Amino acid sequence: MTVFSVTDFIAHINDVLARSWDAEELCVEGEVSGFRVSQGQWVNFDLKDDQGLVNIFMTVWQLRVPVEDGMKVRVFGTPRIYPKFGKFSITANRVELVGEGALKKALAALKARLEAEGLFDPSRKRALPVFPNRIALIASRESAAYGDFIRIINERWRGLEIHTYHVKVQGMGADEDIVKAIQAANARSASGSDEYDALVITRGGGSLEEMMAFNSELIVRAIHSSKIPTLVGIGHERDLSLAELAADVRGSTPTDCARRLVPDRIDVLRDLAHHTEKIENQLLETISSKKELIKRALRAPALWLSVQRQQLEQLASRAESNVQQWLKTLSDRLRNHVRLLASLDPKGVLNRGYAILRSTSGKTLTSVAGLSVGQPITIVLRDGEADARLEQIRQANKAKQQKLL
Amino acid sequence: MPEKKPKKSELDVAKSFAELESIAEWFEQGESDLDVGLKKYERAMELAEVLRERLEHAENKITEIQKKHSNS
Repeated sequence: MTVFSVTDFIAHINDVLARSWDAEELCVEGEVSGFRVSQGQWVNFDLKDDQGLVNIFMTVWQLRVPVEDGMKVRVFGTPRIYPKFGKFSITANRVELVGEGALKKALAALKARLEAEGLFDPSRKRALPVFPNRIALIASRESAAYGDFIRIINERWRGLEIHTYHVKVQGMGADEDIVKAIQAANARSASGSDEYDALVITRGGGSLEEMMAFNSELIVRAIHSSKIPTLVGIGHERDLSLAELAADVRGSTPTDCARRLVPDRIDVLRDLAHHTEKIENQLLETISSKKELIKRALRAPALWLSVQRQQLEQLASRAESNVQQWLKTLSDRLRNHVRLLASLDPKGVLNRGYAILRSTSGKTLTSVAGLSVGQPITIVLRDGEADARLEQIRQANKAKQQKLL
Repeated sequence: MPEKKPKKSELDVAKSFAELESIAEWFEQGESDLDVGLKKYERAMELAEVLRERLEHAENKITEIQKKHSNS
C-alpha cells in the first residue's frame, strides 16, 4: 500500500494528467459562462454543456479573442488541480471561437476597437517605392498565392531581390509565425545588411475560419508598427481582413499584389526609350543651332563685302551718268557760244552785202567825223579789198538819226 | 522613420530613373550650353544603357530566409 501526502497526491495526479493529455492536439468545446477578469490579469470562466461543467483559468495576454458569456469556444490547455484549493480546472493557453456567427461578432468588436485606436488610419499609410530593389515576402512556400506572386513578378520585372519568409498561413500558431516573420524582416532591414523597400504578406482565399490568423490583433499591430512599408493581399475574400486594413497598400489577390509592387518593365522600357529619344533630339537640335550660328558668323563678312561692292558700283554708275550729263551741258553751252560768236563774226555781215571801211592806217571807220574829201580808204568786201578816195562827205541830220534809232 | 542608407555597388533603379528624367527635363528647358549638354547626354546614355540591361537581362533573385527559433 502506498500512502500519499495530499501535496504528493495532487502532484501525482497532475503528472498523470499532463502525460495523458496532448495539449497541442486536444481541446474542449463548450459554452462560456461566468466570464470574469480579476486584477486585470487573470481570466476565469466555466465551460459547460448540457451535462457538464469545467473551470477554465488563463492570463489575459493568452486570451486573444473577445469572449463573453454564452459564446461557444474551444479551449486548448492543460487540465490540472490547483493544489492550494484542490480545484480542478483547465489552465488554458489558447481559446478559439467556434462558428461563423461568433467569429464575425468577435471580428467586428476587434475591428471597432483597433479602428478607434487609429490602427487603420488612412492618413498614416505610406506609398510603396515605384522601383523596389529588395523586398521581404511573407507567405507559405507551398501555396498557390506564393506561386502566383512570383510568376507575375517574373513576368513584369527584372532584378528584384526577394527574401522569402516561409510561414504557416492558417491553423494554430499561424498568427505568431507571421508576426515573427514581420519582426524578423524589420530587424534585418534595420540592421542595414539587407534593406527592404517593401514587406509583402500574401495568401490565397479561404473560409473565415482559415483566414482568422489575418484577423489577429497581433498581426494587425505588427503590420502597423512595421518600419518597412507593407503590402498585404489575400485572395478573393468578400470581407477584408484586419491585416489588409492595417497595411499601407492592399492588393485584392496575390497577383494584384505583384502588380502593385512592381511596374511592367515593358512600360518602363518604353519610357526609357522615350526619354533617351527626347534627349538625343534636343542635343541634335542644340548642335544644329550652333552650326547655323557658325555658318551665319562665317557668312557675315562676305555679305558685308558684297554690300560694299554693290554700293561702290552704284556710286560709280551714278558718277558716270552725272559726268555724262555735265559733259553734255558743257558741250551744249559751247555750241551756243560758238553760234553766238558766229553770228557776231563781221565776215557774216560782209556776206550779206555790207562793207567795212578802213583808213590807210588800218583803223575801221564808223563815222564821217574826221573824214576829209580825197582821203584814201580801203573797202573790205566778202572776198577782197578795194582802195578808193572819198569824193563827198555828208553828215546825216542828227535829229533824224536819233529818230530813226 | 529611419533614413535610408544608399546601397553600395548596386543599381538603384529608382534613383537612376529619376536622374534620367531630370536630364530629360534639363534638355526640355532648351538649355543651350553645348559642353554641359554633351556631358549630360553621355550620362543619360550611360544610365539608359544600364537600366535597359537591368530590365532586359537581370534575374529576379529569390532567397529563403531561414527562421531563427531563438527569435522572440
